[in-house]
Amino acid sequence: MIKHVLLVAERDVKMFLQYKFILILRALWFLAQIALFGFVANRMVKEDVQIVTGNYFYFYAAGIVITLLYSMAVFISYDIYEEADHGVVEYLLSLPISRRELVLGRAIGGGLRSFLYVAPLMLVVLLMIGMTEPFRILIAFVALFLFAFGVSGMSITIAVSIKSHDRFDILLGVLNAFIVRLSTTMYPVVFMPKQYAVLAQFNPLTYAADIFRWGAGLEATLITNPFLSVLGIILFFSFFTFIGIIFYERRLEGGGWR
Amino acid sequence: MAIIQMIDLTKKFGKLTAVDHLNLSIEEGEIFGFLGPNGAGKTTTLLMLVTVIKPTEGKAIVGGYDITREPDKARQLIGIAFQDPKLMWVMTPWEVLNWHAKVCGLTSSERKERVRWALTELDLWGDRYKSVHAFSGGMRKRVEIAKILIQRPKIAIIDEPTTQIDIVGKHKIWNMIRELKDEGSTIILATNELYEADLLSDRVAIMHRGKLLVCDSPKKLKDSIVGGDLIEIILEKEAPKITIEELKNINRVVEVLVLKPNHLRIYLNRAEEILPQITEFFIKTHLPIRSIRMSEPSLDDVFAHYTGLTIEEAEK
Ligand SMILES: Nc1ncnc2c1ncn2[C@@H]1O[C@H](COP(=O)(O)OP(=O)(O)OP(=O)(O)O)[C@@H](O)[C@H]1O
Ligand SMILES: [Mg+2]
Repeated sequence: MIKHVLLVAERDVKMFLQYKFILILRALWFLAQIALFGFVANRMVKEDVQIVTGNYFYFYAAGIVITLLYSMAVFISYDIYEEADHGVVEYLLSLPISRRELVLGRAIGGGLRSFLYVAPLMLVVLLMIGMTEPFRILIAFVALFLFAFGVSGMSITIAVSIKSHDRFDILLGVLNAFIVRLSTTMYPVVFMPKQYAVLAQFNPLTYAADIFRWGAGLEATLITNPFLSVLGIILFFSFFTFIGIIFYERRLEGGGWR
Repeated sequence: MAIIQMIDLTKKFGKLTAVDHLNLSIEEGEIFGFLGPNGAGKTTTLLMLVTVIKPTEGKAIVGGYDITREPDKARQLIGIAFQDPKLMWVMTPWEVLNWHAKVCGLTSSERKERVRWALTELDLWGDRYKSVHAFSGGMRKRVEIAKILIQRPKIAIIDEPTTQIDIVGKHKIWNMIRELKDEGSTIILATNELYEADLLSDRVAIMHRGKLLVCDSPKKLKDSIVGGDLIEIILEKEAPKITIEELKNINRVVEVLVLKPNHLRIYLNRAEEILPQITEFFIKTHLPIRSIRMSEPSLDDVFAHYTGLTIEEAEK
């Protein structure tokens, strides 16, 4: 059981390493976000923001690295679409492994590869801010791995539900707009209108950003107890792993992909 | 003992019935060939057996497991090489095959030995680290076949084993399929190449429009067509319709096919005895013979006979 799951995950991690072009460009994107946007925005924001966030630049850098983790974890679906185009989905379904092992392996693989990719960048951010709490950082990293795992599961669930690459692209764009902007990745919750703030409190991205900032020692802006964030992340990933398995079984069998 | 049993196995895609109440048993240890024109439902049947698609109706038992109720167990026994190679373009054959071998539970020493063997036999060793993206169609097909030859499942399904593969490669693959059988695997193939089916199969089933037309050993099928023998005659001139009608009236002639106006195929019984009578007939009707050839029917004729798709029809 575990062996199969790990083999499936290993395949996804290896495949990710083949996308050198994308990996380099995404790192450049990240660089531009902090060195350009973060830097300028930091000069722009008024004192009252800095009082809440501490240095806004740090606050922003910690948030944006989480959005990168999120978007790299979503990336697993693009592999699933490519595989559908090449008929590889049918190959995977024909293997002597269960559907459950297959989805679990892919969600773990998708999460693990994005985590491995983003972890060095997270370390860079932590080095900038100052690593004062190693134990907290460890907890934060474990939670963020689970978060990435959950995001992959969510991505797989959506991909196999809509089965159309074009629609998935558009849906994902819209979903990202909402899920990122209705979270505390880029701005502290105190500046949000009440209705937005309520929604942001149920957003896994908020939990992830919060737990990372907690690990980094940026405490002033946390919206909840860090352990509630961890709990939120665990609920999130369990939900999508479970739903992912059901959808994968239901939607991918009985008539192939198309 | 039957290792696979299909009972009213049916698959519908919307209004189209791709496989229509198929009833078949496949015996342990045999090579079983599925024949049928394009779109007959061969691939759809095989995909149901490997549990990639679910039947709409009916069932199949694979090695004692119902494919709808216990698909995970059925898949432990069965492996498939697909008609179109299913390869992720960013990977190399080396990665594809090693990963496949690991997932199929081979030990590390078995894996090393068999991957090396398959890549060498199939002339891919030198290209093992190239991405399959840069491969030709035939090379990709070789990688696809290599998967099943490495896996050596109890039941091996091979959909079109040698399409796109050159003639030397075909012979190698045929030998490897026979070796797989000798090692105890039951093999199911689907093919459009009647020669291939005849060469390899212990039994063949002919499908047409989702339905099973006939199933037996190639030899019995060939014997079963009336007018079991065959004479092909090419004339110097075109044969008029009336001549053909007269020809049909000769005792023991069963059927005359007009392949071209001067090219006739005559199905008959005990050809050697009436050959003189036939040559005489053409001399009398002032139709000089350019060439004459006698042969036994091939699986082509069986196929044409059962599917009603004649070469005559194809040439129209
Ligand atoms: N996923 C699908 N959705 C809709 N129709 C399908 C699907 N797969 C197959 N069909 C249809 O089912 C019929 C049988 O197809 P199948 O691929 O089983 O034929 P085949 O006998 O393997 O043909 P070939 O010799 O061309 O490989 C065809 O009419 C095909 O169009
Ligand atoms: Mg086919």
